[in-house]
Order: sequence, then C-alpha cells, then structure tokens
Amino acid sequence: MTPVTQALLVLLLPLVSAAVIALFLRRQGGIATLVSVSVAAALAAVSLNLILGGERFTASMEWLRFGNFAVSLGFKFDDLAAVMLFVVSFVGFFIHLFSTGYMREDAARGRYFGGLSIFMFAMLGIVFADNLFMMFIFWELVGFSSYLLIGHWHERQSASDAAKKAFIVNRVGDFGFLLGILMCYWVHGTVNLTELGATHDGGGIIYSRLIPLLLFCGAIGKSAMMPLQVWLPDAMEGPTPVSALIHAATMVAAGIYMLCRIEVLMVPDALQVIMWVGTTTALYAALCAIVQRDIKKVLAYSTLSQLGYMVAAFGLGSSSFELNGVAIAAGVGAAMFHLTTHAFFKALLFLGSGSVIHGCQHEQDIFKMGGLKSKMPLTFWTFTIGVAAIIGMPGFAGFFSKDAILLLALQKNPAVFAILALTAVLTAFYMVRMWKLVFFGATRSEHAAHAHESGFSMTLPLIVLAVLSAVGGYSGIFGRIAGSVAYLVPHAEGADHTTILIVSLAVMIVGAGSAWWFYKSDATDTLEAKSRGLFRGLTVLKESFDVLYDYYVAKVQQRFAMLLNFLEQIFLAGLIIRGCAGLVGLMGLGGRALHVGSLHAYVYWFLFGLVLLWAYAAGVF
Amino acid sequence: MTLSSLTEGIPVLSVLIFSPLLAAATAVLIPNDRLLRWWSLVSTTAIAVFSLALYCRFDPATARFQFAEHAAWVPWLKIDYSLGVDGISVLLVLLTTLIMPLCVLASWRYIKARVKEFMICMLVMEAAMVGVFCALDAVLFFVFWEAMLIPMALMIGVWGGPRRIYASIKFFIYTMAGSVLLLVALIALRLQTGSFSIPGMMGQPYAESFQIWVCAAFILSFAIKVPMFPFHTWLPAAHVEAPTAGSVILASVLLKMGTYGFLRFCLPITPLATHAFAPYLLWFSVVAILYGGFTALAQSDMKKLVAYSSVGHMGFATLGIFVLNTNGLEGAIMVMINHGVTTGALFICVGIIYERLHTRDLGEAAGIGKSMPVFMGFLGMFCLSSLAFPGTNSFIGEFLVLAGGFAHAKLLVVCAVPGVVLAAAYMLRLLQRVAWGGENNPVHTGLKDLEWREILTLAPLLFFVLWIGLHPQPLIRIMHVSVLHLIDQVNLALPQAAALLP
Repeated sequence: MTPVTQALLVLLLPLVSAAVIALFLRRQGGIATLVSVSVAAALAAVSLNLILGGERFTASMEWLRFGNFAVSLGFKFDDLAAVMLFVVSFVGFFIHLFSTGYMREDAARGRYFGGLSIFMFAMLGIVFADNLFMMFIFWELVGFSSYLLIGHWHERQSASDAAKKAFIVNRVGDFGFLLGILMCYWVHGTVNLTELGATHDGGGIIYSRLIPLLLFCGAIGKSAMMPLQVWLPDAMEGPTPVSALIHAATMVAAGIYMLCRIEVLMVPDALQVIMWVGTTTALYAALCAIVQRDIKKVLAYSTLSQLGYMVAAFGLGSSSFELNGVAIAAGVGAAMFHLTTHAFFKALLFLGSGSVIHGCQHEQDIFKMGGLKSKMPLTFWTFTIGVAAIIGMPGFAGFFSKDAILLLALQKNPAVFAILALTAVLTAFYMVRMWKLVFFGATRSEHAAHAHESGFSMTLPLIVLAVLSAVGGYSGIFGRIAGSVAYLVPHAEGADHTTILIVSLAVMIVGAGSAWWFYKSDATDTLEAKSRGLFRGLTVLKESFDVLYDYYVAKVQQRFAMLLNFLEQIFLAGLIIRGCAGLVGLMGLGGRALHVGSLHAYVYWFLFGLVLLWAYAAGVF
Repeated sequence: MTLSSLTEGIPVLSVLIFSPLLAAATAVLIPNDRLLRWWSLVSTTAIAVFSLALYCRFDPATARFQFAEHAAWVPWLKIDYSLGVDGISVLLVLLTTLIMPLCVLASWRYIKARVKEFMICMLVMEAAMVGVFCALDAVLFFVFWEAMLIPMALMIGVWGGPRRIYASIKFFIYTMAGSVLLLVALIALRLQTGSFSIPGMMGQPYAESFQIWVCAAFILSFAIKVPMFPFHTWLPAAHVEAPTAGSVILASVLLKMGTYGFLRFCLPITPLATHAFAPYLLWFSVVAILYGGFTALAQSDMKKLVAYSSVGHMGFATLGIFVLNTNGLEGAIMVMINHGVTTGALFICVGIIYERLHTRDLGEAAGIGKSMPVFMGFLGMFCLSSLAFPGTNSFIGEFLVLAGGFAHAKLLVVCAVPGVVLAAAYMLRLLQRVAWGGENNPVHTGLKDLEWREILTLAPLLFFVLWIGLHPQPLIRIMHVSVLHLIDQVNLALPQAAALLP
C-alpha cells in the first residue's frame, strides 16, 4: 500500500464504522462496540506504520470549482501531522478500549461507539487537511460529534444543555474562523497551507494582523481559551472516556494544532495577543481549579490551564527564536511537545478518574471519596504517575515540555514567565489536593467504602498511558514520532538551564508541599473552613463568566428576540399592514355612508356638487 | 442517455406545463379518494421522471434559452406563447417537479376531506409554477404568476388551520398588491420595446429615470414574494395555517419566484437601476438575516420558527443576488435550491409531528424523539442542513454568498455572519426540545415511529441535502455559463447606459 492509500484508509475506516453502526447496529451494542474498537485498533496500527515509515507527502484532488474559486480535498502529511496523528490514533485506541469496560452497562452503547467513530473521522480529517476550507469542514464536524457525545446521557437536563452550549459557543468562535478563511482567500488567493507558506506578501498592515487573529478565534472556541472557556467545564457532563479523548487529549488541542499549521501567517502583533490570551487563561483556570469539588471539573480546569500554556508557548516563541544563530519556530515545537505529553498524562488522569468514578458507583465529589489507595491500587499508582507528570516532577514527561515553555517565557517576557511560574505552583497545589483527597485518609462515603479495582479492559489503558506519561518526554521517544518538529523544541543551556531547573523544582515543591500540608482528609473543603473570603472570591471568579453569559442569553438576547416578535405583531403586522387594510375599509365605509337610499340626501349631494362645479367654472379656485 | 433520445422532438416544456392540467382534468372523473391519491402520486412522479429529460439534455455550455418553443398567441397585441429555460430556470423547474410527488405523499393522511379538490389544486399549482419558470413572454409569465395564487389561496383557505380565512385573504391581497406593480412595469416596458418578449426587453438602452421607476416596481413586487424584510408578515401567517403540502410548496417554490424575478427581470432589464438600488437591498438582506434569526428564536410554534428561519435564509439569497458577482449569484441560486430542499423537509417533519400530536407547540412536542428514533435521525440532519453545517447543502450556498459578499463589501459579511450563529441557536433549540426535552409526556406513549410512506417522503430530500452538500459541481456546471452571461448583462450596460445620461 502506498502511503496515500494508507492515509485514506486511516481517514475512511472510522467513517465506515460510524455509518455501519448508525444504520444497522443501533440496538446491537455489543457488535457496535466490537466494530468501533477493532476499527480504532486497525487505524492505530496503520497510522503507526505511516508515522514510523518516515514517508511524508502531500496529495490532493479538486473538489469544487466555482469559476476562479477552487476548493480541494487533500492530505498534507508532514512531521507536524505525524505527531498529531500519533496522539489521535494511539490515545484514541486506548480510550476506545477503556470505553468497552466503562460503558458496559449502558443501554445506548451503539450510539456511543458510533459517536466515537464519527469523532475519530472528523479529528483525523483535521489532522490531514491540506487547506483551511477542508479543515473548517472537519472542524465543525468534530464540534458536532462532541455535541452528540456530551449529550449522551440526555435524560439529564444538564447534559443536554451542556451539549447545546458547547455547540453554540464553538459556533461563535467559528464565526471568526470563517471570516478569517474568507479574508485569507481574498488577500492571498489561496487557502492551501503549503501555498500559503510560499506567499510572503502579508496583504498590508491591517490584513496581516487581522487574518491570524480571526483564524485564532476558531482556536479560542475549540481550545476553550478565554473568553469562550465556559463550555469545557460543562462538557464534563459527557461520559468520562469522552472527556479524556475529546475534551482533554485531542479535540481541544486541535486549536493549538491549527495555530501551528498557520504559523507562516503569524506576525509579531498577533503573536502578542495570542500569548496574552493563553497566559491569562492558564492562570485563570488554575485559580478556578482550586475550589472544585467534582473530580472531573478539577481536571477540566486543569486542561484549560494547560491549553493556555500551549497557546502561550505558541505566542511566545514563533518565528524569532534563535538557536545557534538560526531562527526557528520554537513556539511550534514547545506547543506541540506539550500537546503530546499533555495528551498522555491528561488522558491518563481522566481515565484514572473514570476508573475511580466507576469504582465508586458514579460518585464524583472528591470530598466523598478518600482512602482509595488500598482499594484501587493499580488506579492509584497510574494516577500518581499522571499527577507527577502534570506537576512537572523531574524525569516525567510534563517536566520536559513545561520547561521548554518556561524557557521561552524567560527569554521573551519576564511578566509572562512570572505568571506561568505562578500557574505551575497552582497546578501542583490543586493536583496534589485532589490526589490526597481521593486516595488518602479515611473513606468518607458509602460508595467509596465499597470501591473496587476496575477490570482489565480499563486498567490496561491506564498502564500504557502511565508508561507514556513517564517516558514520553525523552527526546528518544518524542523525536521518534515528531521528526523535525522535535528539533524545534527549545533546550535551555548554561545559566538559563540552572534558572529554569531551580524555578521549576521550587514551584513544584512549594505547590505540592503546601497542598499536602494544608488539606485535611475531611468532608469539607479546608480552604472554605479556614479562609472563607478567599474561597468565595475564587468561586465568584469561576462563576462570573457563566453568570454574565447566562444573563446575556436569557435576559438580553431572548428578550430582544421577544421584543422584536412583539413589535412585529403590534407594529408591522398590526398597525401598518392591518392599518392599511383598515384604511381601505374605512374608505369603503365612507363611500357606503353616502349611499343612504334617501332621495333628500341625493338631492343635497347633487346640489353640493353643482355649487362646486359652478365655483370652479367661475374661477373661485 | 435513453431519456434524452426518447424525448427528442417532444416540446418538453409544454408537456411539463400541460400534463399536470391533463392529470387534474382526469382526476375530476375519479370517484374514489384512495384511487385519487394514487393517481396524483403516479402522475406527479411521471412528470418528475419526465422532467429529468431537461437535466439530461440541457447544454451547460451556452447561456441561450433552450428547449425554446414559440407560437403566436394574441397577434394583434404581439403576445406570444413563448417558452424556454436557461441554466437558472432549469434548476427551478426541476426543483418544482421533483418536490411535487413528495407533497402528494406528505398529504396522504393529512388531507381527509375534499381529497379530489385538493389534488386538483396541487396539479394546477404545478402547471402554473412550471409555467412561471419557463415563460419568456411577459404576459404569459404574468398569467402563470397570477394563476398560481388561486390554488394556493384555496389550499390555505379550505384545508388550513383555524385562522385559515384570515391567512388566505392576507396572502392573496398582499401578493396581489405586488402583482399589480409588476403588471404596470411590464406594460411600461411593452410601450418602450413594442413587444412582450422578455429576452427582447433585456439589454435595451432605457433612460435611467425610466429604469428607476420600472425597477422600483419590480423590486416591490418581488420583495413581497421573497419575502424581504419588512414585507414578510404574510409568510408566517400563511405557513401556520396552510396544510403541510401547502407550506412545502410555499417555501420550496413560491418564495423562489421572488428571487427568480430579480434574476430574470431586475438584473438584465434594468441594470442601471439595479446598481443604484443594490446597496439598499443588500442592507435589507442583512437585516432580514438577523431579524429572521432573532424572531425565530422567540417562536414556540414550530411552523412559525421554520417560517422565520425562511426569512433569514432568503436574506442570504437576496444578499447573494445583489452583490452582483459570480460567487454571490451562484451562491444565491444554490441557497434558493437548498432552501427549497431543507425548509420543505422541515415543514414535512413538522407535519409529521402534527399528524401524531395535533399540535405544533414546541413545549408539547418536547421529547417525542425518545420514541421516534428514525424520525429524529431525519430531523437532525435537516436541522443541521438548516444551520448550514459543512457537508450539507446549505453550507455550500451560504459560503458562496459570503465569499461573494466579502469581495463586494467586507462590512456586510461581518454583519451577516452572526446570522449563522443565530441559526445554530434556534435550530438547536428546536432539535433539543423535540429530541430530548421535557418530562415523560403521557400523550407520547405508544407514539409510532415513521412508516414507510413517510420515510419515502423524507429520504429523497435527505439525499439532496447530502448530494448537494458533498458534490454540488453538477448544479454549478449547469448554472455557471448563464450566471456569467447575467453578470455581463448587468455590468456591460454600465458604460453603454452611462453614455445615455445627459
């Protein structure tokens, strides 16, 4: 098989699986599971072959032609796509496997696995897309599959509301994305990624800034950057493996992938904006994570924070980072590096939390857990590796990728460096808080008391991802998958190296230590008990966006819609249209009133008319 | 192609116009309701199959009117019976003939009383609609244009809902008011050119003031038909009261008459005035997109919701027309066809709900998806199509319109794109409520999923949603040369007519 055929196979297999499940297997959950998981396994194998085969290619065919405007469908498979393909297919397969155990008792398994297959198709479409138009199509399609999967348990009102919210918030971001694509086409005459790389004419001072920023809007929606971050925590209403796959490892990272794809369009001013959006989101989400009670919500805010890190990395280091005197796109390297390691450890953490939730009869409140260390040893140890990776414990994957980002910040912008370091303290703090509350101390609820270790189909993915989270940061591993992208990752040397090492060790120890020391294994939040004001403040901070948007939707938008509807009924349809009809009716009535059928009246009108005529003839008027 | 060789030498357009009339005349003799339904289905299907000859034999390489027929009708007034289609009208003829069998299927159960009269109305309607798109003589056009109103008004007035008389009269008088202006404009043109031939009226060096008046009359009469904001209030009223088939015909075909009128009359006959009016019409289109979106958000009656979404979608069509460039115009024609497919399908879906629950209220229908999974599959796809999801038909159309708009004026597009977000909001609201909403409603127990007849009604529309969404090239190919020609007509006139100005 040629590489192109393999790529086509990888892309189309999940589509076939989704179609088969949707048409024939809606009620045969068991067979649907088998189909979907074996397809995921097959495509993981083929993609691994494709990635390690080393062949990189582009191939495209024309899809539509409207006069001079042509749209093609094509593959652009370079090293960047290879990294992303690895993350999607490999992590995707293990999450499929985990789902077989997690969703075993679900009545609508067919729908669930069909949704996963659609998602894989859409996500792989984004990975392979060779132009922005095609990317946009799959971009919307991942949004739709995410909508289906968040709303999987639609009997819960909150789940179906969350699904709708995710779709609409993403649409808001896509509004900018679509404008960006139109503008890109209009300025550069192409939306093909390779051809865009060859154009050097930025399109003038305004468009060169506007295009990347509008395209970035798409990333703001999909990667849940501020101010569109509100949908991601709500999306935790979906089944936990979905959160792991879509809302942690792959789809939300698509925004970062897209930014790396359009790196050639970036200009310094746009990068500044991107950097600050990422940095703010990183800090904001880390603050919110501290006061969460729901195990999945803690992870969701942590995902937001880490995505902020990646976006900040991209904004910090693109195009102008000097390595041995050569400018390289270090932002792309650092962002993709962190994206990869994050996919490993965050998928691990989510699946671990899924295992915990499964074990505790769907209890999600960390204050009702506790003492699970001995009851679920395998989950505990793998989860611990995940925690070690995310807080940047030396030797684990997150340590290397986070250091690359901190290095960029240190060299580029001290303020951003300070904020990102503070975020790292907070990350260690809330992760260790959760870790301690879930696994240590006394068992605090009935459900947790009866917790048991999950089955093999669920623990195997945990073990594999734990191994990757431990070793995924070494250049031998990352370099093997990422090829040339790995060369873009900045490495600290000399004094910088020492600074970074000291800082990252210090923040980790401060954050983790204070959390371990501060939190008691108790049914109430220690922070809430000790410092009510701080706790309230953080809660308000978390809720402020939702309150604002809910106010806009319920009070402003809906009322405006009602008002327009009302005005239409009263003025347009009532006063004006009916008024015109009424006027005609009145004239009719007036005319009828003249014809009363009495001779006297007719004689009177006749004389009146005569006088008028006479007057006119005499020249009175 | 065998179909093309079989129809060689047959006046296809005349057959398409007169065979529904013949079928209607035959229907008079059929005594049995069941037989009548089958007869209408068979005849409309046969006409639909026959109309495919147009698709097979149409030559997309030329902008000339094809399948032309010509005969003197009223010689002393120079009124001719002259027919022909170009790349724009051929698509609309096909849309009409293909949607009719589905309308018959959709009224299979819905119409219980006066079946004979209803089917006759439908068939007469079909003849008139095809006639409008084929006529190349202004008087012939006007006759079909007016003839269409009568069966439609009857459909609403006889088989409609509780306020049917009001809706029917409002529809009739409102569109009639528009037609009067159209008649005046056509007579004025006749006095200038000396004939009623529509192609003969195109590309004439009329004075600018004359063009302004004629074009204003055209715009008013077509804007009512589209309907453009603020002339749209007849539409929700008519839709809410009309039976399912009536709503489908109204949305799929009748609204297209307005935009078709713009393309056939305003642009090529009064190009200068079109250029003068275009900026205002563009802004009215943008207002329609946003206004339709917002008001759709406020509706709880599903038919009204779809009706207001129509206002928004047709706003995209007029936006595309008046940017006066290739992408915009092709996008507008795509939007016209897509709207016919998608909105027609949505009205059929609402009709299916109404047949089961006897309500169109979003609250009362909430949650029926739980017992009707197949129906939800269809409704879901059509809702996605309506919100212009990539891969469905509407996306192609709206994207082209926006691309065309962008080349014309960026601000327009920036203002129009929020309409896409609004579409997501109101369509998801509908989908969400119908699919998942509500507590378990006791009325919904024992609700039957779609039967074969209903699947057969919706499946062709779904096919078109995906076909146009994934492979729109055949449609573009058919219209492309005609659109280029239209652009030439509207732009070449500029210097030529500018020379006429004092």
